[in-house]
Amino acid sequence: MSGESIDRLEVTLGRLLQAGVLSAAACLTAGLAIWMTGAWRGLATLLLTAGLMILMATPLLRVVVSLVEYARMRDWFFVATTLFVFGVLVVTLTLALRQ
Amino acid sequence: MIHPTIIAAVVAAGAVAGGLGSLLGIGGGVFLVPFLNAALGLDFGVSRAVSLMTVIATSSAVSSGTAGRNVINLRLGMLLEVASTVGGLAAGITVARLSDRTLSVMFACVTAVIAVLMVTRLEKRNVLDAGADPGPFGGRYHEEESGREIVYRVKRLPVGMLASLLAGAVSGTLGIGGGILKVPVLNAWCGVPLRAAAATSALMIGVTAAASVPLFYARGEVNPPLAAAAVIGVLLGSRAGLWFGGKARARSLKLLMAMVLAAVAIWYFKRALA
Repeated sequence: MSGESIDRLEVTLGRLLQAGVLSAAACLTAGLAIWMTGAWRGLATLLLTAGLMILMATPLLRVVVSLVEYARMRDWFFVATTLFVFGVLVVTLTLALRQ
Repeated sequence: MIHPTIIAAVVAAGAVAGGLGSLLGIGGGVFLVPFLNAALGLDFGVSRAVSLMTVIATSSAVSSGTAGRNVINLRLGMLLEVASTVGGLAAGITVARLSDRTLSVMFACVTAVIAVLMVTRLEKRNVLDAGADPGPFGGRYHEEESGREIVYRVKRLPVGMLASLLAGAVSGTLGIGGGILKVPVLNAWCGVPLRAAAATSALMIGVTAAASVPLFYARGEVNPPLAAAAVIGVLLGSRAGLWFGGKARARSLKLLMAMVLAAVAIWYFKRALA
């Protein structure tokens, strides 16, 4: 395993998390501001829902990107580990969608 | 229909919780949940779900700030997430069967433990020679204050896994990040320096929350305007907290907040007994 590729992964994941939290915050701020006016309820709900979805999806995306990177590094132990975490999140989402 | 003053109160509460959280190096959930539940009178399920949304936001924000400095141990984090997400999912499935009284007792116990940890928390250095081999799960990073290369090796991995499982279960049950429960274990027993343990834990709490919060979302417990207000508040507050960080006296603040948490613990014990 090489130290350089794991360093690069850390930077990539950092950018991904930043993009996730910033876009979620933007949607939530805009959504909440519109919601407070009392008008355009549909738009407010859409923005709020989008913000919350982006927020919840960010950790999942982080796991997916890690999975791809560990596969590229041929670090099979961590491919398996990451795949397990991904599996748990998929179980959660499946149960949530069934409710 | 939620009144705008409630929204404003939740933004403010989120800001205070996020600020305290970043000053004390813990997430703000342990302050936010009792505020929403006890002070605003929201349902415990709603308080938990809203707080978990702020946990994800905090995790992403903090980790994007520390990424690139090598303090986050990605491999150790992913391995421990195996346990913490299982804990979170298990909690997400079973929590609906717990009574309000049981939840109150659990919340009281956990806040009491956190209060004690906050006062007595050890800092072990756990540092090896710069040339040492960190092993498969250890790490190395450059410490800015001392200018030294910090190398550490992970010991007693099963203990770390168990702590992560427990922290995940507590996170999904009570709506807090759970970092305060695993960071001391990683630091004191598993050989991870405090800074690396905290950064790795901050990364982990997001995915741990993501293993339970979609279930609460599907149950309609994530109230969108309240969650938005709390997330915005926490993000602003943790920013401010980091900025004040250098100026505040962490020691007396920790003592004060330990007392606040003790009071919260007593309130929840009383409610459980009533």
